[in-house]
Amino acid sequence: MTEFINRNRRQLTWLIYALAAIALLLFIGDQLAGKKAARIVQTLISGLLVGGVYGLVALGIVVINKASGVFNFAHGWMMVVGGMIFWSFFTVSEISFAGAALLAAATMLMIMTTVSYRNLLERRNLLITAGGALALTLLMTVGGIEWQWLRALTGAFAGAILTGLAVERFTIRPLIGQPFFTAVLMTLAVAEVLHGVTQIAWGTVELNLPVFVDPQTNSRFKPIRLDGLREALGGLAIIRVELVIAFVLALLAFIGFILFFRYTSVGLAMRATSEDQQLAQSVGLRVRVILAITWAVAAFLASIAGVLQGGAVGLSLNISFVALRVFPAVLLGGLESITGALVGGIIIGIVEQFGTLINSSEQVGTNLAPYVVLMLVLVIRPDGLFGEKRIERI
Amino acid sequence: MKKLCAVLAILMFIIGALPSLAQDMMDYPSDMTACEIDLTGETINIFHFGDLSGPNAFITQPLVAAVTDAMSYWNSRGGVCGAELQQIYEDTGGNLESTQSVYDRFTNEYADELDLLLLYSSNDGELLREQLAEDEIVSFISAGSIESLYGEDGQTPGWLYAGNPLYINQFGFFCQFVAANPVAFPDPVIGFVTWPGAFGLAGTEQAADDYCAGLGVEVLDEPQIFLPTDSDILTQVQNAIDSGANIIYTNTLATGPALIAGTLVDLGMEDEIQLAGVNWVMDTSVGILGQRVLKPNGLPAVDGMIGSMPYLWWTELSSPAVQFVMQQFNANNRSPAEQNIAYLVAWGVVDSIIETTIRTVNAVGSLDAVTGADIRPIVESMDYEVLGGLYRFHYEEGMRDGVLNRIAVLKYANSTMSGAATGPDDALLIDDGAGGKLFVPIVVPLSDFMEVPQLRG
Repeated sequence: MTEFINRNRRQLTWLIYALAAIALLLFIGDQLAGKKAARIVQTLISGLLVGGVYGLVALGIVVINKASGVFNFAHGWMMVVGGMIFWSFFTVSEISFAGAALLAAATMLMIMTTVSYRNLLERRNLLITAGGALALTLLMTVGGIEWQWLRALTGAFAGAILTGLAVERFTIRPLIGQPFFTAVLMTLAVAEVLHGVTQIAWGTVELNLPVFVDPQTNSRFKPIRLDGLREALGGLAIIRVELVIAFVLALLAFIGFILFFRYTSVGLAMRATSEDQQLAQSVGLRVRVILAITWAVAAFLASIAGVLQGGAVGLSLNISFVALRVFPAVLLGGLESITGALVGGIIIGIVEQFGTLINSSEQVGTNLAPYVVLMLVLVIRPDGLFGEKRIERI
Repeated sequence: MKKLCAVLAILMFIIGALPSLAQDMMDYPSDMTACEIDLTGETINIFHFGDLSGPNAFITQPLVAAVTDAMSYWNSRGGVCGAELQQIYEDTGGNLESTQSVYDRFTNEYADELDLLLLYSSNDGELLREQLAEDEIVSFISAGSIESLYGEDGQTPGWLYAGNPLYINQFGFFCQFVAANPVAFPDPVIGFVTWPGAFGLAGTEQAADDYCAGLGVEVLDEPQIFLPTDSDILTQVQNAIDSGANIIYTNTLATGPALIAGTLVDLGMEDEIQLAGVNWVMDTSVGILGQRVLKPNGLPAVDGMIGSMPYLWWTELSSPAVQFVMQQFNANNRSPAEQNIAYLVAWGVVDSIIETTIRTVNAVGSLDAVTGADIRPIVESMDYEVLGGLYRFHYEEGMRDGVLNRIAVLKYANSTMSGAATGPDDALLIDDGAGGKLFVPIVVPLSDFMEVPQLRG
């Protein structure tokens, strides 16, 4: 018997997994059998759309990981900061000129000194810095309610770039060449710093961010009601417009990043940098610049996610926790896969919703189901669904 | 931030600042015990810690503001029996490890002075229950769970004393209200849609279900749980409705009730399902955040939500307690965003700490000699109207939570401020500073203060 087990250990292991998977599927099938078709469809829609937002958050984490190999634990707080900056410019009708000018100047200075502080010694660069700062300031302070979107988008863009570049410059850059784990720990510290900064700047009061408000009714966009399918589904299913918007934005971001990483020199350089920073530097790649761009891009993505999440439920420090819920999606899709971020996000979104449909009282949807799926996938594909297979010889 | 402040400033002005500003500064409204011992030159420390930056921060931060203002008030008038008030507090971020570490530090650094501690959350109360008893430290808390106040068996009163009724008792009280109004609630079935944790699930005990069933109110077995970060809770709400709920009850605050109300509107069920909840659902933040979704009648989704109101509210300006706090709020130029439950109740907590301290010092003979063991019998013998009527401080016969409650409904003011609006046409709308309009939330009591049922088993 022992000899049989030893000889067929691998096959037996797989058999156990297969039996477990079958049992799980039978259990889920049984639980869903009594549900109306409308509920199944509704759950699928909700999962898909919520998963899109997860995918967007996951994308920000993956972009950093893909370029630098660092798992960014500060992403959730970058979402909060981005959302809060957007809120400040979106809801305040009169922006302080001095405040906007300070933000614009700091952003331009950080951009222009990405390679070296000596860049500022050149007159041309100084003029670009001043011109850029002036343009950003004007865009951020343009008056009137009708310009609130322009103000907010410009402000959020500048704020995100500044945040990303500052994090990279003062915390990640000094660690180039050091073990990745040091940088990962640094992101934990950055998370706490951003937490504190957010509290000081905006307080902890929950803020209403009316980005998904229909100006005609001053109410959130009405959901799309699938009344035509009511009879066929045995009930009503609805689609929430703000989640559709978030989903579409996530899709556009994915398409953009897939093209960026595949077909642009900067994207290719980012991939090379992630393989080996010192080697990339030795072949002439500007690792500093590439890392700076990566962090700025990730901060921008975090801002978008922060605005979408804040618009859906209100802006508070709580939205930083969304990033924690997205970690299984990142691992599921593969740490450095753009496609994996989207697919992982959607799978986790759907799994969460179906888990909630089956048993909400024990939080199966949020506390158990995503991790069971993650575990099963990692057993079969240790690098995630779309992760790159790495072989390390020992 | 400016916009929000402007909006809330107008709101505050409308709901009561005008009458209070028209008056001279009031005398302190409490009927306090006279000092028998002169404490001049001494310091009375108000120790407190809890979540000031985590998930509950938007409720708890105004608490610090209120304690600060109350201390300034007393210190500028010569202190309490001559002693200066000082607060020593710490933010735990809602993290239990931090709670433990802050508690350890406080008990080490202030071993001789820490006899009375203010806590904010049920989770902290549960964690520290046994340690408080061991260290003989009396603790005041806004609303504790059964386990924190009465132990795992629900029968062992500890060293924590809550101002509000237990959440489970609030829920039982709500069932009483439902059963007493059969026309409004025929065949009532209550489903919980709530947050996880000691707070969120505090009302979901079998004893409450049995009590409500005895009144003819069915409570669904399975609570539907969502997280404060959830952006879509259609599944949870539909689960409850599919199980037969025609009343949804929630132990959440801020965005929680607003999200449920919005989901009901999305489903077109706002008139068929009654939304109700624990005392925190009546807070200003819910009235503001609940305006993101409007019902077909044009009023915000949370209009008509029912909740517990175990204390007076900002709008009840006939009460000297509310008038006084309103005056102090204005005099200290507090941010309108701080005009919430915590600010109001924290003034009451400071008042009860002072009264407790005076009585204990009178009994013991000096401030230095006071211990938690001295404070405890004083607390249990008191029957005191906090701030002259904000709520009652009374813990007799082993009670550790408040016994009085009432039910109120969240509405929006009409344009003449004479009552609730019936639609947007007769509603009071104020400029939100960003081109939109905001409704003005008001809280309308639906019942008198009555004793809550005792359901802790």
